[in-house]
Parts: sequence; C-alpha cells; structure tokens
Amino acid sequence: MSQSYQTTKSATSIALYTSLVAGLGLMALPYLTYARNFSGAGTLQMLTGKVMDYSGFPPENLPSMDLALGLGWALFACLLLSAFAALRKASWMWISGVAGLLVAALAMISIHVSLGQATQVLLDQNIPLRRIPFTSGGANMGLVLGLLASLVTVATGLSGFKVWRERMEKLRWALVPSVSFLIAILGGALIIIGIQSVPSGLSSPLTFGEVVLGKFDLIYFVYSTLFAPLTSLPDFLQSLVLATPLILTGLSVAFAFRAGLFNIGAPGQMTIGAICAMLVGVYVPLPAALLLPLTVIAGALGGALWGGLVGWLKARFGSSEVINTIMLNYVAAGIFVFMIGSNEVKFFGQTFHLPFKAEGFEAKSAELQPGAHFPSLLYLFGLHKVGDTISLSWIAGLIVLGIVFSLIKNKNRLWIAALSGIAVTAALWVPMTIQATDALITSRLNVAFLIALLAAAFFGIFLWRTARGYEIRAVGLSPKAAEYGGINVARNTILAMVIAGAFAGLTASHYVMGGALDEFRLKQSLPVSVGFDGITIALLGQSTPVGVVVSSVLFGVLDTGGMYVDQKLDALNRDIVTVLKAIIVLIIAAQGFLSKKIISPPPAAPEPRTSHQEERKEVTA
Amino acid sequence: MIFTDLFSLTFLATLIRATTPLLLAALGGLFSERAGVVNIALEGIIIFGALAGAVTTQLLDPTLGNAAPWVGWIAGALTGGLIGWIHAIVSIKYKADQVISGTAINLLAVGVPGIVLGFLYGSSTESKTVEHALPQWGFGDFRFSPPVYFAFLMVLLAWYIMYKTPYGLRIRATGEHPKAAASMGVNVYRIRYSAVIISGMLAGTAGVFLSIGFLNSFTRNLSAGTGFIALAALIFGKWTPLGTLGATLLFGFFSALSITLGGTDLFPSSIVQILPFLFTIIALALTGKGTAPKAVGKAYE
Repeated sequence: MSQSYQTTKSATSIALYTSLVAGLGLMALPYLTYARNFSGAGTLQMLTGKVMDYSGFPPENLPSMDLALGLGWALFACLLLSAFAALRKASWMWISGVAGLLVAALAMISIHVSLGQATQVLLDQNIPLRRIPFTSGGANMGLVLGLLASLVTVATGLSGFKVWRERMEKLRWALVPSVSFLIAILGGALIIIGIQSVPSGLSSPLTFGEVVLGKFDLIYFVYSTLFAPLTSLPDFLQSLVLATPLILTGLSVAFAFRAGLFNIGAPGQMTIGAICAMLVGVYVPLPAALLLPLTVIAGALGGALWGGLVGWLKARFGSSEVINTIMLNYVAAGIFVFMIGSNEVKFFGQTFHLPFKAEGFEAKSAELQPGAHFPSLLYLFGLHKVGDTISLSWIAGLIVLGIVFSLIKNKNRLWIAALSGIAVTAALWVPMTIQATDALITSRLNVAFLIALLAAAFFGIFLWRTARGYEIRAVGLSPKAAEYGGINVARNTILAMVIAGAFAGLTASHYVMGGALDEFRLKQSLPVSVGFDGITIALLGQSTPVGVVVSSVLFGVLDTGGMYVDQKLDALNRDIVTVLKAIIVLIIAAQGFLSKKIISPPPAAPEPRTSHQEERKEVTA
Repeated sequence: MIFTDLFSLTFLATLIRATTPLLLAALGGLFSERAGVVNIALEGIIIFGALAGAVTTQLLDPTLGNAAPWVGWIAGALTGGLIGWIHAIVSIKYKADQVISGTAINLLAVGVPGIVLGFLYGSSTESKTVEHALPQWGFGDFRFSPPVYFAFLMVLLAWYIMYKTPYGLRIRATGEHPKAAASMGVNVYRIRYSAVIISGMLAGTAGVFLSIGFLNSFTRNLSAGTGFIALAALIFGKWTPLGTLGATLLFGFFSALSITLGGTDLFPSSIVQILPFLFTIIALALTGKGTAPKAVGKAYE
C-alpha cells in the first residue's frame, strides 16, 4: 500500500490478543452444534473432530461436516496470519481480517447447508418438521469467536488508513455504550457459569472436562437464545412491540437529561397519560377521525401535566426534581388505584359510585370506543388475513440508502444512495416477501410504533434545529451561563419537563389504544417499570434520538429472548436481562473505570506521513 | 368508634411497626447525605438486605436453630454495607453521577433477587419460609422484633455520633465543605466511604426487619418504596436525627392510618396512601433547598 498507512500500538495489540484468544477458542471450545433438545442440552462438534453429546439422544446419521471443519482450520490459519500481521506487518491486518470474515461466513453457510440436507432427508421420510433435531443446530462459540476476532482485526487494520480512521472517529460516541454492553455480557456470562448447571440428558454425571465445555456451550446457548428474536420475524415484531414504550420513556428521560434534569417520573407520567387517554377514548362521543388524534393528544397532555408540575416546582421553589418525580409516581399510582380499583368509594360513611371500573373481578376500565383503537401495523400494511403477502424489501432498501448516503462523499450522493436503495428493494422484492401467518396477524405491533419513531424525529429536530431547542440544551450544559446569556432558565426548565412528560404520556397510545395490554383498555397490568427502563435506555443511547431507538430495539430483543431463556432453563430466568441492564447503567455511570482511550475525546491522531504522490499533488494544486 | 380505633394500643403498635423500616433507612440516608453522597439506592439496599437476611436464616435454620435469624440479621446488614460500598466506589472513586449510580443499584435489586431465588428455590418471586424468624419481645400488643428497638435506639446513637463525636463533626464538615475539611486534615474520601457503608448497613437492617422481623420470608415487592419514602422523610426532617424521627413517625402514621382505615368507610385507603407523598411535595416546595448539606450530590475532586 502506501506509506500513509499507520496504526497505533494499542490497535495492533488489540488485534493480536483477540486473534490469539479466538484461535485458542477455535481449538478448545465447541465449534458447532448438531442439535439441541428443548432444555438446551446439545450434541456438539469440536474442531478437532471429536463429537460430544450432552443430550443423551444424539441424532442418528450425523451429517458430514468435513467442509465446515476444513473451513474452521482455514479460519484458524487466518487468525494466525492476523496475529503475525499485528506483530510484524500491520498493513496486512485488514487483509487477513477480511479473509477470516469470509472463511467464517462460508463455514456458517456450510454448516447451515449440511444441517439443511440432513433435515431434508428426514422430511422426505415424512417426519414432521418440529420432530427433526437438526433444525436447532448451528455454529457454536468457537466459530463465533473467530468471526468476531476477524471483525475486530478488520476494524483495527482499517484504522491505519486516514479516511477510515476519520470515519471511525465519528462513531466514537458509541464506544462507551458498546464497551459497557460487552462488559455486561461478560458479567452475565459469569453469572450463568455460577448459577446454572450444564443441561444434560446423560445418565452418568459429567466429568470435569465435560462440565467446562458444557458451561461454554451454555453461555453460547443463553446468549443465542437472548438474541434469537433477531432471526425470526414474529419474534422480532414482538421485540418491536416491547421496544415501542421503551423508545418513548427513553426519549422522555433523555430529553430531561438534555436540559440538565433527571426525570425518574416517567412511570407516573405514563400512568396519568394512560388515564387521560382512557377517559377520552372511552367517554368522549366523537367520530373516529377526531377521536383517534384526540385520544393520543389526551395521553400526551396527561403526561405533560405530570411532568410540567415537576418543572414548575423546580423553577418556582427550587425543589429537587428527583424527589418530586418519585413522589408523583406514587401519587399517580394512588390515583390509578382509586379510579379503577373499585366501583364504590366510601367517604365519611357515604358511598359514592365511581363509573370507571369495568364489571368483573379484575381492575380495568371499560373498553375504548372502536374509533379509538389503533390498527395493527401489519394490518395497515395490507396483511388482513392469513395468506396475504407483502414484501418488506423496502426496509432493506432504506437501510442500504442510509449506509450508502453516510459512506460516500460526493455531491450526487443522495441520488446514488437513492438509486442503490431502489435497486436493493427491487432485487430483494421476491426473497423478502412474507406471507401472513397466525403469529403475524395477531401481532400487537401497532401504530404507536410509528408515533414513537415520529417522537424520536421530533426530539432530534426540536433540540438541534430550533432556537428553543438550543436554549434548552444551553440550560442543560450550564444554567448559570445560559442565564447570563439571556436565556430564561425557569421557563425552559418547565418546558423541558412538559415535553419530557408528554413523551412518557404517549406510551398510553401503545398500551391503551394499541391493545398492548391484550385488550383495548386501561388495566392494572400497566407495566410501570418501563418508565424506569427509560433511564437505562437514555444512558445507553447517550441521549440521542438514534441511540434511544437502537437501544430500545436491543432491549426489546433481549426482553423477548429472556422469555425463552425463562422457559428453557430452570435456574436462570428472565431476570438475567434486568441484571444485564443494571450492569450497563453501573458501568456507564462509572465510566471513569474504563480506559482513557475509550472515554476521552479523540486522542491526537498520529499524523500520517504524507507520501510523495500526495506532496506532489499539493504542489501541482 | 373510629377515634377509639385510632387511639388504641393496637394502632400505636401498627404505627411503630410501619415506622421502623422507614426510620432505619432514613437514618442510613442521614449518614450518607450528611457526608455529601446522595443515596437514592436505599430502596435497592433494603431489598438486598431483606434477601440476604431471609436466605441466610433459611439456609442456617436446620443447623443453628434460634441463632439463625441473628446471623441472618448480620448477613443482611453486611450485604447492605457491601452494596453501599459499591455505591461509594462508583460515586466517590469514579465520580459518577450519584443519582445514576443509585438508580443502577435499584435496578440491580430488581433483577438479582429473581436470579438468587431461582437458583436456590426454583421460584422467582419468593423464598421459602424461615423456621425461626426474629423473636418478638414485649408484652400484649406491644411485641416487636429486636430491629424495632434497635431503630429507636439508633436515633439517639445517630444524634450522639453526629453532634458529639469528632467522627460526626468530620462527616458534617465533609458534607458542607469538603475542601475546607480536607485542609483541616480530614480524609474526605475515607469519611465518605465509611458514611455510605454505614448507610448501607442501616438500610440492610431495614430490609432484615421486613423479611424476618415482620414477615417470615422474602417476597418480591416487600419493600414497596420504603427507601424512597425514607429519602423523602430525611428531607422533610431537615437532615437531622430527631427531625428524621419526627418525619418517619408522620409517614408511619399515614401508613398505619391507611391500614386501619382500609376496613372502615371514612376514607378510601388509596387516597390516604398518597397523602404522605403529597405532603412531601408541598413541604419540599415550602422549605426549598435551604437545609440540605451544601456539598451533597457533588463529587469531590
């Protein structure tokens, strides 16, 4: 290449160590899984050729994995090459990394194909799909570690080029959250090792070596289960259902953060918002065209009132928003119980009748008028009954558009990006066509998801594109300086809490109007803990709208996957997800504990020596 | 009839039981906040203390018998101290935002019990019942477990430590003006660490009271906001031991009231329950930030 290539010492050592660890892992850890039974015990294949069975019923006629194992050895060679490159010839790193990535991807495809063939053989014998063990197989930790290490090597290798280094510097804000997430994953792995015994269907007790290998397989099993919703459309939709309120409460906390306020009151704001939305949605007689927006607005106003109250108390009396929001959470919960807990209220011996609670044992309101029901999102897209088809390739097209747009620097980039987006949409139209199944038709993903995305867009535009947004951010950075600059701190504090509250109040649209509580009504099962999750989301998303949406989807995926972990393992339950979240917050809070290279602003990048060619160009120019 | 209810000994006993966990946690908060560290983690520490107390007692029951709950108490207090120590490391050593650090610990307290209970008992909501809970001392309706007596004794002790010992003076100085304290030779870090750990041990004891001094098992929602209310009581009591006692008695009164009125037709109990919170909001607005330790919430550089 050219002389302008220069990596830092830490980059090469990161590449060196990850390659070595991954190489070791490839040799010592399970390479692939042939099959897994329901509670997780599997039949594992080592790269060295040994087959280990934990299930007690290894599937008959294991498919040949010669190609996949051969590719594994090739991956091992690539990792060794990466390690050598990191030591001696840094400019090779990205090449060996790309080679490793390719080989690992090929190995995964090869595993998939082999298992698919074995499945097909059984299908031909008229065995029902759910009885076939091979469908639960796939890559295991050894291979995945190699894949990740190759990815790291590519990134560190490319960081030697000035262009790529500058691109990566732009993503620096994502470094602290990602590293915190990785550490949480490692911490979670320790918990898994500690408390969950290796799932085994064998009649004899496991030997020490089997336990060690089994534990590594267990970690892989738990995390692949947690992330499994990424690979199945109904599960992914369920993740988006869970993500919708998280986006809104996350935006709520993040917006307050931007104004220098700590909003622990999202649970109360969403409760009041839900009550207001219920009151309008059930009792106000209006045609759907008016009722639907009015119900949404009522939810937002309810939350805004509850948040604004805190802002006003802070601006007027200087009382801490932290305590006030906590107190108002309890007040909101009390009002909630008062309203829908019972029909009869006793007051100094008199009995008053409250109309809000629906008949029956359970505490819930009457159902919203049909006009205030949000349709399911897939219904809106045209999936009305089982068998209808739509293509989702436009989503892939949009993603490609975004990536291309951000990667190229050209004045025609919008056109190029749009064209490539359209091309991808067209190319994937048939492969990405989905057919409605029961699981999709009954999905609770509703219009509130779009509202949440709109709210995120509003967050970004308002804070960074309007004068009032600038004022709020100024107050957040330094109230004193803002005051000195002629900004009305009190008014902006109230406004910030009003908007933050409105975001939280909008969750009503999801729960009450979208039927996310299984019915279109306000119920006692309104999950207020979602309001606290907003804090984690805001921190993980660094209080940016994109960060909040991405972290919410991630948490939605983990929450959905957590349910499967709960079903499959006995000692481990979905609380592992909560613990992961807590560790993430703890590490982001105590980020001083991370290396300076991660938390500090970009280190002075080593000035690349300019090549002769570049010098000549400058001279001629 | 209602007045005889309210002035009966039974009501007084209910009041004292309702006050105890609040008082212990609030006194814990007092140590921490007077030293300049906001401890919003009290709620989580109570849960950890309750869990450790119940689990230790339950596991030691067969071997130790009557002594088990006492060991459980120690375990709960130590666990509380340990969690306090974590809060201290994060917020003092790594200078994290103290409220965020506390929130993280509260979140941890939501997740960890499920994991521990799942591991030990195969349930994610409650522990097994303990054979021997803490003994009840007293006569008639006035039978309380030892943490109750400990809590009220602790008020005097806290007052004595805070105002009559050099350690208390250092705590107060650290919370008001850490730089000045440091220039007088006080080790600000050490004072803050110790105060937050004491705070954790007291909150842990509050948890022990809830799990084995009042009930006889750990259940998932047993804290129900006690830590947050204690924090409010601390502010309401203007960060002094006696003021805190008064404030927690007031909150305890409301709590006992809602229990007692639950069966009558005077007020809906859901409304009585929100009174203390409304009260706190109004009181906060009236007192403002005037009486808080000046350096509270700020990391010491």
